[in-house]
Amino acid sequence: MNSLKPFLILIALAFLMPWLVLIVYPSARLKAYVTEVAYAKEDDTKDAVFPTGRSYLVAGARVYAANGCAYCHTQMIRPTYAGADRWRSGWSGREEDGLARETLPFDFLGERYAYLGVQRNGPDLSNVGHRIKEAKWHYDHLYNPRKVVAGSIMPAFTNLFTTRPVVGQVSELAVDVVDRGGSQYEVVPSGEAKALVGYLLGMKKDQKVPKSIVAK
Amino acid sequence: MTTDTLPAGDDVHLRARIDRSLRFPLLFFFTSAAGWLCLSSLLGFVSALSLNVPEWFDRLPALHYGRLYPVHVNALIYGWAMQAGFGVSLWLMARLSRNVLRNPVTLVVAGHVWNLVVSVGLLSILLGWGTSMPWLDFHRGISPVLVISYVSIVIWIVGMFASRAEKSAFVSQLYILASVFWFPWIYVTANGFIHQDDGAAVMKAAVNSWYISNMIYMVLAPVALAASYYIVPKVTGRPVFSYALANIGFWSLVLFTGWTGMSRYMGGPLPAWLPTVGGAASIFLLIPALAVVYNQVKTMEGKLAWANYSPALRFAFFGSIAFLVGVALNAIVSTFPIGRTLQLTQAQGGIDLVAVYGFFTMTMFGAIYFIVPRIVGCEWPNGPMIRFHFWFSAYGIGAIAAFMIFAGLAQGHVIANYTEEFITAVERGKPYLAALAIGWFLIGLSNLSFVAQLALMVIRRGRRDDEGPTLIHKKPEDYFTHELVTEKAAQA
Repeated sequence: MNSLKPFLILIALAFLMPWLVLIVYPSARLKAYVTEVAYAKEDDTKDAVFPTGRSYLVAGARVYAANGCAYCHTQMIRPTYAGADRWRSGWSGREEDGLARETLPFDFLGERYAYLGVQRNGPDLSNVGHRIKEAKWHYDHLYNPRKVVAGSIMPAFTNLFTTRPVVGQVSELAVDVVDRGGSQYEVVPSGEAKALVGYLLGMKKDQKVPKSIVAK
Repeated sequence: MTTDTLPAGDDVHLRARIDRSLRFPLLFFFTSAAGWLCLSSLLGFVSALSLNVPEWFDRLPALHYGRLYPVHVNALIYGWAMQAGFGVSLWLMARLSRNVLRNPVTLVVAGHVWNLVVSVGLLSILLGWGTSMPWLDFHRGISPVLVISYVSIVIWIVGMFASRAEKSAFVSQLYILASVFWFPWIYVTANGFIHQDDGAAVMKAAVNSWYISNMIYMVLAPVALAASYYIVPKVTGRPVFSYALANIGFWSLVLFTGWTGMSRYMGGPLPAWLPTVGGAASIFLLIPALAVVYNQVKTMEGKLAWANYSPALRFAFFGSIAFLVGVALNAIVSTFPIGRTLQLTQAQGGIDLVAVYGFFTMTMFGAIYFIVPRIVGCEWPNGPMIRFHFWFSAYGIGAIAAFMIFAGLAQGHVIANYTEEFITAVERGKPYLAALAIGWFLIGLSNLSFVAQLALMVIRRGRRDDEGPTLIHKKPEDYFTHELVTEKAAQA
């Protein structure tokens, strides 16, 4: 290897191949594969991937990322050949309706990034929207995890809550009421907490697989 | 790399001039890298602690595991590993290309920019602007500045190679060039696809896993391999055992690494062939690992015992073995029977640390122990302290990797048994995570001793007697030292 040029050409080729095959090509393919097709009543035969209508998806995902939720929670139900996630009760979707399944690419439609996760220091959240249907549960849990789930190692996200004086009745969403110098203060979820909980309540990755995708 | 005879007079002067020209940039990179390393060890300790006693961190959102752990990892990679790599690559390239560094000031300025970028990036995670994408956690606006500052540092490395006197190239130079070439490519690819492209969200996660693997095996590993291909022959005074094997090791690494990584998401919502290809490539990485380690062991044959004395050789040898272990573990978890249990647990982090800490970091320590006396003109102050550094690092990283893998086995076993409550997985993993904190504590202690010695060297308060290089133990009769002594004489 006596000069820089042939060496650079060789390593460029060695790098270009996997780059094209593993990244450029599947990205282009998947982009076409999971495109939303708007539902049109007059064309009911067209089996579309319906927009899930989660407008808070992006805001919620941002709070999810900022607080590093993805470092302990996964959003990835593996098929039976790669683990037992499918059989764990409540993880893979509505079993009673026969909708439980592994996670598929179109489950992340409308999201900017799929937080598949790194480790399971906490449970998988793919279908947490089916398991927990009340926002209040989430607020209590985020504010004081060990009060709700014994033995939890989740930190308390007190930064997602604000304290304000009680005016009239205590808010329905208040997770705590504190007494400061005779006057009452309530701890209520901030906008960030609401976005995050909206994101979690909408986490239902068990939609029926559209025929258009199965056929491809 | 092949100087097994005494160098001629001019040669010694040239080397002394090269070392002098590199003094300030190298000391800058090494000290700031060491600072980040200490911070990262501390954060490793605190983040492991926060998994055990989360209630201590309830009122401190910036210190939650979800923010502290990425800060710890990113400080280790961009603060310590990349900067130590800059220093070592610069020195190796200058020495092997026989070129004096002409722009030390520009380089130091670029180094400051790099440190600034890393600081802002880490702050962005702490303050809630992180992305939760492993190894790419910095706020997205930081990536262009990081690439520019990277290029303005490594351009001098490429320049020195391009204007080298001899037409031939050493394998160490090839490794460094490949690393320098690959980082901007994967970094721009990963950031471009994740932040600029409006494609499938799952593909972005796949690109993220590909990026991590390529960072380990094609950006960090080549620098460490370049260093050990330099250190082992130099210290033992023998030529590399086989140049053919060195070439095989290099080209097979280049050929296979680009395909690795996506096996981290096997069973994930991706086209199944992507993780499959990744898993196969991870197994093929055993070829370069075996080639390199066999080559080094054969080079050291008969002088293996010298690893007891030379700090550089001991750290580099440990690093090479850890390379093989790390690649083997990575190959094992890339297969379904074992990967299905260890995937999505603490184990993968432990296996990455075997490569990043056990291999890369330890080899960098070896290289720094080798380089710094040459650029400052005095020897390391204290041999036993180097021994302390070695053993605490070795036991520390061994314990960390083992406990993370055991924690992964414990967690993965419960998750695989779907009738058990999930909280059991958390409970089973906890004791190992407590031990993890102890591992980081040991490593933190060892790095403090390293920083203390490095600080003494920077203010040039090392040993200046005539006893030759500082060794871990008292030197044996036949120890090869003439190269060091003559250089020191030339610098005086």
